[in-house]
Amino acid sequence: MNDLIPLARGLYGIWLREVMRAVRDRGQLIGGVSRPLIWLLILGIGLNPYFRGEVYGEVRFVIPYTYLQFLFPAVIVLNIMYTSILFAVSVIWDREFGFLRAILVSPVPRGLILLGKILGGSTIATAHGGLVLILARFADITLSWSQVGLALLLMFGLSFGLTSFGVILAARVRSFEGFGVFSNTIILPLYFCSSSIFPLDPSLTRAQTAALYPEWLVFLVEINPITYAVDALRGVLINFHQFDPRLGPAVIIGLAVAFFFIAWLDFRRR
Amino acid sequence: MTPHTASGIEIVHLSHAFAGRKVLDDISLSIEEGTSVALLGPNGAGKTTLMNILCALIKPDSGRVMLDGVDLARQPDAIRRRIGAVFQDPSLDTRLTAWENLEFNGLVYGLPRRERARRIDEVLDLVELGDWRDEIVKGFSGGMKRRLEIARALMHQPRILFLDEPTVGLDPQTRARIWSYLEHLRTHRNLTQLITTHYVEEVAGHDRICIIDRGKLLANGTPEELRARHGTSMIRCMPRDAETEAALRAAYPDIRSLAGGRLGVALASPDMLDAFLATYGTRLRQIQIDEPSLETVFLSLTGRELRDRAPGDDTAAGVGEQAI
Ligand SMILES: Nc1ncnc2c1ncn2[C@@H]1O[C@H](COP(=O)(O)OP(=O)(O)O)[C@@H](O)[C@H]1O
Ligand SMILES: [Mg+2]
Repeated sequence: MNDLIPLARGLYGIWLREVMRAVRDRGQLIGGVSRPLIWLLILGIGLNPYFRGEVYGEVRFVIPYTYLQFLFPAVIVLNIMYTSILFAVSVIWDREFGFLRAILVSPVPRGLILLGKILGGSTIATAHGGLVLILARFADITLSWSQVGLALLLMFGLSFGLTSFGVILAARVRSFEGFGVFSNTIILPLYFCSSSIFPLDPSLTRAQTAALYPEWLVFLVEINPITYAVDALRGVLINFHQFDPRLGPAVIIGLAVAFFFIAWLDFRRR
Repeated sequence: MTPHTASGIEIVHLSHAFAGRKVLDDISLSIEEGTSVALLGPNGAGKTTLMNILCALIKPDSGRVMLDGVDLARQPDAIRRRIGAVFQDPSLDTRLTAWENLEFNGLVYGLPRRERARRIDEVLDLVELGDWRDEIVKGFSGGMKRRLEIARALMHQPRILFLDEPTVGLDPQTRARIWSYLEHLRTHRNLTQLITTHYVEEVAGHDRICIIDRGKLLANGTPEELRARHGTSMIRCMPRDAETEAALRAAYPDIRSLAGGRLGVALASPDMLDAFLATYGTRLRQIQIDEPSLETVFLSLTGRELRDRAPGDDTAAGVGEQAI
């Protein structure tokens, strides 16, 4: 027991440093605030009228939500994806500027160093996701405290998995150079293929869906784990699911466990 | 049953290779508690690799290390609490303040809040950075960062302190200041210190000096012992023309080629100098005679000048030089 308190302090210290760093990082904060505003204000409002089939005189979709409501949970996921995956920058920073050695000579075990960093990154990503919740009123979504709590829990799970993924990326990237690439080759494709900005209507049969969308796109959406994270948040925030409601939490937990494990294997090896 | 091992540092038959290339070759060294040892060697000698092994950052291929009576391979975690390290490359978080860097260190070493507060004041005082505690480290000068790193390494009151080229790139005043902090720690806290450097003029004040080159430990002793054992007077000269150079090489078979086309001749006796000057005195462009010094010890052990990379920087080599 007496051994655990110093270790807990170590974990806290590593977590705290990540959080402090994020609070001071104006650029990251500005991104976290402006990104949801742009997506909701411009894309959301712009496409809102076109979301229903009846615009063309024929009701084709039976989703009883506005586009803003439909998009809202996905924008939370987008904000989390950016912050989590770009957490790789922090890991590379530690490595390139030598701070990592200062941590590695300390008595904090490797696994705990990794956990502290990832918890720190997940906290920041969850906060950035939580920022979006402030705009809920604006998207015509009313939330109870229990909905907010449940949403934050899912957001934290997703942040943990994706932050671990960022750490895994960092171990495979040699320098800072590859960063613009991250958002264009990883974050945005995953986001667009997660049924975030267009629905796969659950009331349609497979054949009907296939008539509306090409097979490959449906396939991409269905194998993309982010799809189920978005679906889980939609379930909590607007009570709408496109898939089995159990899938979302299962995928989020699965990602968190699998990616943390891989990150740990990487870290132990070096 | 473990045999009683003295505290301090005990390195036994340590070897390490990177990608098949031997970087440390059968190093054995024992350092008594409370003493300071300077590890002197040129760039690439293997000093940093040795430090990394002693800090348990890399595992050696073979050999054993005992620190403060504890086997490094068996109980790395027990050892981490007893050692402090100042790395060759900077390792502060420059986005945090001095205080935050130290607080972070106090946390990862598991110190309680009050203890952290007390020790932060203490170490900041020691390195005279008390007025800068709430400033972001990014704005610090190189010397201030170095001093803060030393303060950080002392936060958890280690028994052994490793410093890898702590004074490289700093101005003379800052260097002198750093040596005086270390001296203070040695005499007041019985702290064992292992310090690497490639500045020969910095090693004379240490209890022992080890000379390392190409991964091998070439000499180990007090400064006086080394001067007595390996020190010779040296002539360093630059022949006027190729003819003279050929004549010199023929006359002195063990002559050494130095940087910048100069030659080095070890002087066995004072008569030899007279003979040398009588014959070649007028055929040289430049000559300098070095009394036995740590510099000439290094030269005679390794056949190289420590400052191979900085020709013409002879004035900095300091001790016992006379230019003619
Ligand atoms: N991680 C590494 N991988 C491969 N070679 C290395 C590594 N670290 C050091 N070396 C090599 O080992 C030798 C000794 O390096 P180092 O210990 O840094 O010397 P010093 O600190 O005395 O300048 C050098 O030739 C260097 O290139
Ligand atoms: Mg070095």
